[in-house]
Amino acid sequence: MPVIRLTERRFVLLLLAPAGCFLAVFVAYPLLLLLRNSFYEVSLYALNDGVFVGWDNFVKALGSSRVRESAARTLNYTVIALSAEFVLGFGAALLFNALGKRSELLRTIFAFPLMIPPIVAGLLWRFMLIDNIGIVNHILETLGIIGDASDISWLGDRDLVLFSVALPNIWLTTSFVALVLYTGLQNVPAELIEAAKIDGAGNWQRFRRVTVPLLRPVIAVVLILRGIDAARAFDMIWIQTEGGPRFASEILSIHIYRAMIRYGNVGEASAIATLFMLGMVLASALAFAVIWGRGTSQS
Amino acid sequence: MRSPLASRALLMLLVALIVLVYGFPYAFLVSTSLKSPQAALAIPPTLLPQQLSIENYANIGEHPSVQRSFGNSIIIALLSTVITIALAVPAAYAVARYATWAGKTFLFVVLITRLIPPVAVGIPLFVIMRALGLIDTHLGVALAHSTISVPLGIWLLASFMEGIPRELEEAARVDGCSRFGALLRIIIPVASGGIAVTAIFVFLASWNEFLFSLLLSSTGVKTAPIAIAEFKTQYGIQWGTMTSLAVLFSLPVIIFSLLMQKRIIAGLTVGAVKG
Amino acid sequence: MKRICLVLAILVLLSLSLVAGAQDPVTLTVLVEQGGVWLQEAAAAQFEEETGHTVEFVNVPYGSVFDRLSAEMATGGSAFDVATIDVVWMSHFAPFAEPLDDLFTDEVVDDLFASLVADAQIDGTFIGMPTWANTEIIFYRKDMWEDADEMAAFEAEYGYPLAPPTTWDEFTDMAQFFTRDNDGDGEIDMYGTDVKGGVADFEWMIAVLQAGSPGVVLDADNNIIIDNDAHVAGLEYYISHHCDMDVAPPNVNEVDWGVAENLFYQSQTAMFRFWGHAYRLTRGDSPIADLVGAAPMIAGPGGIGAIPGPWFNIVPKTSQNKEEALQLVQYLYDHNAMGIEAPLGLAARKSAYAQYADVEGFENLNPLLETLDSPQTIGRPAVADWQQIADEILGPIGSDALTCEHDVAELLAWGRAELEAMGYE
Repeated sequence: MPVIRLTERRFVLLLLAPAGCFLAVFVAYPLLLLLRNSFYEVSLYALNDGVFVGWDNFVKALGSSRVRESAARTLNYTVIALSAEFVLGFGAALLFNALGKRSELLRTIFAFPLMIPPIVAGLLWRFMLIDNIGIVNHILETLGIIGDASDISWLGDRDLVLFSVALPNIWLTTSFVALVLYTGLQNVPAELIEAAKIDGAGNWQRFRRVTVPLLRPVIAVVLILRGIDAARAFDMIWIQTEGGPRFASEILSIHIYRAMIRYGNVGEASAIATLFMLGMVLASALAFAVIWGRGTSQS
Repeated sequence: MRSPLASRALLMLLVALIVLVYGFPYAFLVSTSLKSPQAALAIPPTLLPQQLSIENYANIGEHPSVQRSFGNSIIIALLSTVITIALAVPAAYAVARYATWAGKTFLFVVLITRLIPPVAVGIPLFVIMRALGLIDTHLGVALAHSTISVPLGIWLLASFMEGIPRELEEAARVDGCSRFGALLRIIIPVASGGIAVTAIFVFLASWNEFLFSLLLSSTGVKTAPIAIAEFKTQYGIQWGTMTSLAVLFSLPVIIFSLLMQKRIIAGLTVGAVKG
Repeated sequence: MKRICLVLAILVLLSLSLVAGAQDPVTLTVLVEQGGVWLQEAAAAQFEEETGHTVEFVNVPYGSVFDRLSAEMATGGSAFDVATIDVVWMSHFAPFAEPLDDLFTDEVVDDLFASLVADAQIDGTFIGMPTWANTEIIFYRKDMWEDADEMAAFEAEYGYPLAPPTTWDEFTDMAQFFTRDNDGDGEIDMYGTDVKGGVADFEWMIAVLQAGSPGVVLDADNNIIIDNDAHVAGLEYYISHHCDMDVAPPNVNEVDWGVAENLFYQSQTAMFRFWGHAYRLTRGDSPIADLVGAAPMIAGPGGIGAIPGPWFNIVPKTSQNKEEALQLVQYLYDHNAMGIEAPLGLAARKSAYAQYADVEGFENLNPLLETLDSPQTIGRPAVADWQQIADEILGPIGSDALTCEHDVAELLAWGRAELEAMGYE
């Protein structure tokens, strides 16, 4: 008996070993390097050297208003992108569900943006949003929604730009949210809906009392996955605005890239990146606990 | 109450509207690429080309490094796919089948890697690749891409493998198959659909990746997204050429995806719904 | 006789080994931006033919030249034998660039613009060989400036004849004069000029030089001058076309160089300040193809002023083929004029510009020459953290000033405080 158990454990370890080694070398070790750099003053030009500065980089990062503003913008950007994706995606999923099989072609077209590289999406939206050449303002002008093509400065207005740079993200990933939720809806047993109908529940009540609770795990996973991706966004925003105007679209990943690669302040940037990651872990854990926890306690 | 037919039609209309809004940007991209570089920038812009022009596509011919970049992208994406599948299949099997402490920890670690912003590990990866002599090699970039796709692959494959009835391998074991034999002869063939879907996703992840490719390639192995971004020059953006490149870059993937559409949607949803 | 034979034999052996050494072909990898490929590929091809070496251009986007080379330097990588870099990065890469003092003979120095010679050296050592010098000049619509009715109307209104603007006041007058609502619908159909808020970190400093400042942000000894009178006057002039009068498209933050160029070529602006290369890039199928005029940059109280945008060839110290790399840099200088026929049509040598100045189709070269040769055309300070100063201080100042809600002097005082926080005095 012990021999067999040992074999099984060994077998599992053996299966895990290649991927484990890979992740150790190319994921864990880089993270350790990042952590190490956080405590050093390191220049981009001498990465292997550096002066130990203790917690200085963290103190500087936490004290910097630029970092705090970037963190707030990261949160805003994530909330904007996530809520739009979720509302639109859920709406689309319900529509598809209502249509049933007939929605197949539409779903296929809807899945389209999923295949488009973020860099292309960012460029495309930048092209469409530039106030004078852009097609978006032109259409809005033609429809009479705005008086002149220069009335909305999507990428130049500091109050608007964070929303504008979220557009390609929303465009690219609403379909993901919609398709996942659609699959979830398909898995809701018809008997439960029927039972609720017999109990005299209206459409809205059936949706709230039956569909949503059953979908809760799916919703949790979608929100967390998409939230993480939105918070880490880089290339789409970089290609659109590089964080401008006047840092109004600079989220943390852009700030870190700028500090690390452009200015060469690897130490400080590493400290910010470390804090960023800690924040992500905490936020995900919290989201997980709230969404999932409530679901299980109710049922 | 409205007739079911009318509400159906309304629904259909609503969905068609959403699809139109969603499809529009890409249609406009294609349309712009078929205008002359001059007409692409007309004020006010036009929806459709007033005169079809393939000048933007012809311009690509003047940039041999751009053509090479497509080859690089393919090689790197294939390499990354092979690496990822080779590493992720056994790991996913272990996680899905044997609920050991190691397996659970492993899955947790895999989840955590999703939280890492690429920009944070870009420079450390550069240092490691340099130490390994892998800067500006297909393998170096592919390995960097695999840091994203190995966790993704394990996650997806584990979901697929959980769906395979345990009885299958138990039967094989009774028939005298070793553990490895069961994995090779039973699980992998049965899970081949899931493996194919995973491979597609891994390929796409590499095909689209930007930051690592930018940091880790220079002379030889520049990928297509970088080549596209290169048309953003110091003095402005060459929209015409850029749109044609973007079309060429995304079209094969889109066509392929449409062919594989059912499988891909299955893959998209399996991780999330089962997770 | 024996001696002579011996000497001859040694000579033959030496020359043989020299020839063998020189003919060992290598591949030289050159890091460049698209412009650098255009301007240098013809000369490089000729170099390949003459020497047997191979020149491979690594063409990356503008910002990536810096990022890639930085990363390369960071790790001591040796992927590049030559890099063609923007002047703003020179001091950044100075510690990693091979000294080129030997290449800068008196003859070379005399044939280069003074601002380029100044920019080519860091702390007294030449590290970069100028490859081309670009700067902003005035582009205007010939059909409008040479129209008899317009000329009469302008002179009647402003009291002097209409000609391409040469001063701040003339530029402002003409910008106002040509801002038009052609169809009378209350919307402006053509603006006199533009204000490029999208590249504010660069644009307002041009006016600072025109106002007579001895430099931008920092003086020659790297002392802070960002709050001197010329900075105040320059910044005020820069924003005046947006804040005090309606002569430029209103969404200034979206107007970067690319958009500004498009506005002009799509007849949305009558004139604008832009990089001299664009003249040669005017497309034949452009609606205004034959109507583009070029003139020297305008003068403020301090004279004609502009910021040169030169690019330099540097040889990274890590290059494995230094000798051949230096040979290539020298060759590219010798054949500098070959770039003028390339799309960007730029060069670094006065003689190269002079050679083409009177050729039809190169009407932008005399304005470029005059602007580049002006004493108030001064390069940006050669400090390692210039990029950071531009991104973190100059951009925000320009951007905030363009909201028209701030006192310019206060913004510049903030700029001084920020510079002091970075360690400048």
